[in-house]
Amino acid sequence: MRRAARRRLAALGRLLLLGSWGLAVAFPMYWLVATSFKPDHEWFAWPPVYWTRTPTLENYRTVWLGEARVYRTQEALSMQKPWLALRHSLTIALLATGLSVALGTLLAYGASRYGLLSERRLFNLLMLRMVPPIVVAAPLTLYYSALHLLDSVTGLVIVYVITTLPYSVWMTKSFVDEIPREVEQAAAILGAGRWRTLWEVTLPLIRSGVVATFMFVLILTWSEYLIALILTKTEVVTLPVQLAKYEGSAEGRVYGRQAALAVGVTIPLIVVGCLIRRHLVRGFSFGMVRR
Amino acid sequence: MARIELRGLRKVYPGGVEAVTGLDLVVEEGEFVVLVGPSGCGKTTTLRMIAGFEEPTAGEVRLDGRVVNDLEPGARNLGMVFQTHALFPHKTVFENIEFGPRMRKVDPATRRRRVREVAARLHIEHLLDKRPAQCSGGEAQRVALARTLVTEPCAFLLDEPLASLDAKLRRELRAEIDRLHQELGRTFLYVTHDQEEAMTLADRIAVMREGRLEQVGTPLEVYADPVNLFVADFFGSPSMNLLPGRVRRTAGGAWFEGPGVALALPPALAGAPEGPATLGVRPEHVRVGGPGAAPLRCRVTLVEPLGRDTLLYLEHGAARPTVAVVDGAAPYRAGDVLAAELAPERLYLFDAAGRRVRPREGVTP
Repeated sequence: MRRAARRRLAALGRLLLLGSWGLAVAFPMYWLVATSFKPDHEWFAWPPVYWTRTPTLENYRTVWLGEARVYRTQEALSMQKPWLALRHSLTIALLATGLSVALGTLLAYGASRYGLLSERRLFNLLMLRMVPPIVVAAPLTLYYSALHLLDSVTGLVIVYVITTLPYSVWMTKSFVDEIPREVEQAAAILGAGRWRTLWEVTLPLIRSGVVATFMFVLILTWSEYLIALILTKTEVVTLPVQLAKYEGSAEGRVYGRQAALAVGVTIPLIVVGCLIRRHLVRGFSFGMVRR
Repeated sequence: MARIELRGLRKVYPGGVEAVTGLDLVVEEGEFVVLVGPSGCGKTTTLRMIAGFEEPTAGEVRLDGRVVNDLEPGARNLGMVFQTHALFPHKTVFENIEFGPRMRKVDPATRRRRVREVAARLHIEHLLDKRPAQCSGGEAQRVALARTLVTEPCAFLLDEPLASLDAKLRRELRAEIDRLHQELGRTFLYVTHDQEEAMTLADRIAVMREGRLEQVGTPLEVYADPVNLFVADFFGSPSMNLLPGRVRRTAGGAWFEGPGVALALPPALAGAPEGPATLGVRPEHVRVGGPGAAPLRCRVTLVEPLGRDTLLYLEHGAARPTVAVVDGAAPYRAGDVLAAELAPERLYLFDAAGRRVRPREGVTP
């Protein structure tokens, strides 16, 4: 009886702890969505309005359909291109992530099977990521202006591939390491060449891991702000940069509009996440447990 | 069909560990050779060099006289079966078996026919649609055999294929492998650390230790005529009784003396040099209860009935008890005191370095 009571108490404690943690994590998301449906005067209202009694789609219409009553100059200027930003963000994030994961997988395979990169070199590769982006901002801008890559999709894709490559290599390497070599050797002695073995045996076996890595890198590139801000001007704009533009000089942040855009920024990731959920669960668990 | 020839084969790993030191071995066409030795003796490394997974540091691997050192594994026309099966977990059994012919661009109809034939031969037709994870250990190893068999390799390399199975399955599959070898008449090179497997399967056994070949011979040769202490100790179950001591020569002949044992060496061994030595005798050559020239006064410390035979552990003052095999019906009990004799014509003598002291020919004991 006492044991049962203790167990129930422990369960209750666990529920409380996890519940409050869950609330802390979920509240900003809730606030974002709630704000996106609020009319102007409720954005800053005090006491706060938790859920508006007069929900409106105005924010969405203004942001995504451009039905702006142009009464604030700053807003009018910055609101021009949400769809362009979405297109650019999608192109840049998908291209950069795809390239990064593809290259990363090959490098990881080489490192794991052919000793292409020693553990030390791999670690140095990861060290690249320890440099705060702002530190390299100025030199990068100089390079890019000399190479005519400023304000271009190509330029951002290149910089994202380079900066996320360490993650791609490290993550996929842990998955490749778990595939027994003998499986590949069996393929080799049965007559499969090296590329064929990689394609027919190794890649299908680490598929979940590659998908998990893809998702991880996609989140990084999709939400990157600083480098995108520095390396773009007018031609190219990504969603995080666009998001930060919703600030009027006279009236402060236009929270409702920002929230409406932010919801749009979040949804694609959630959709991708749901599509590959099966792989994510497997990939994230079996890669991480061993290391 | 293939003749496998190893010439001065050597493998040094980065870091200086010498796994194989100058190995010379010929496996004749159609022969079943078992590479046997304790773990870490270099037998698997040797097999992997033949397969092409490891590059020899020195020496040659020849298949039918042709040096294949620089050939990719897939180009050597060998088949390999791994201890871990190494099946492709994401493919069905059918796809696993079909993999080899598909890589070698065999047309689909022929491929299907051959997969079915091989599956029938190994009694795994019912598994064809399953994944390897759904197969038991024995079934998985049959699939692995089938996958190798279907490519019709000129030689089979088997790396401890039965090590991960339980005893009963092991015997079953051992018989199966034996049958396959007889039916196919191909060259088999089989690696194991299990002396019993080696004895039952091999045409010839190659015993390895620390990267070196200790002895090559038929199972009966290595059992009855070991070249050194290591080989003598390795083969046989229960293993050979080894009594440490020294050889002393007197006018009357040579004597062997050690803790709990003192006996005159038979005339064939009378030429043994003086000094530290080890006397060996197989448990089946310890005669219990009989009168003899060199009886040992023993006390039975342990009786292990095995059914047909019984093992007696005899305490006579030596560091380790001497083991004797007696008839299973013999009524011995722990604590019995009895006389035992080491059959003089079946004694093995090893010098201080562990080398066998050969009996002189033509001298009757």
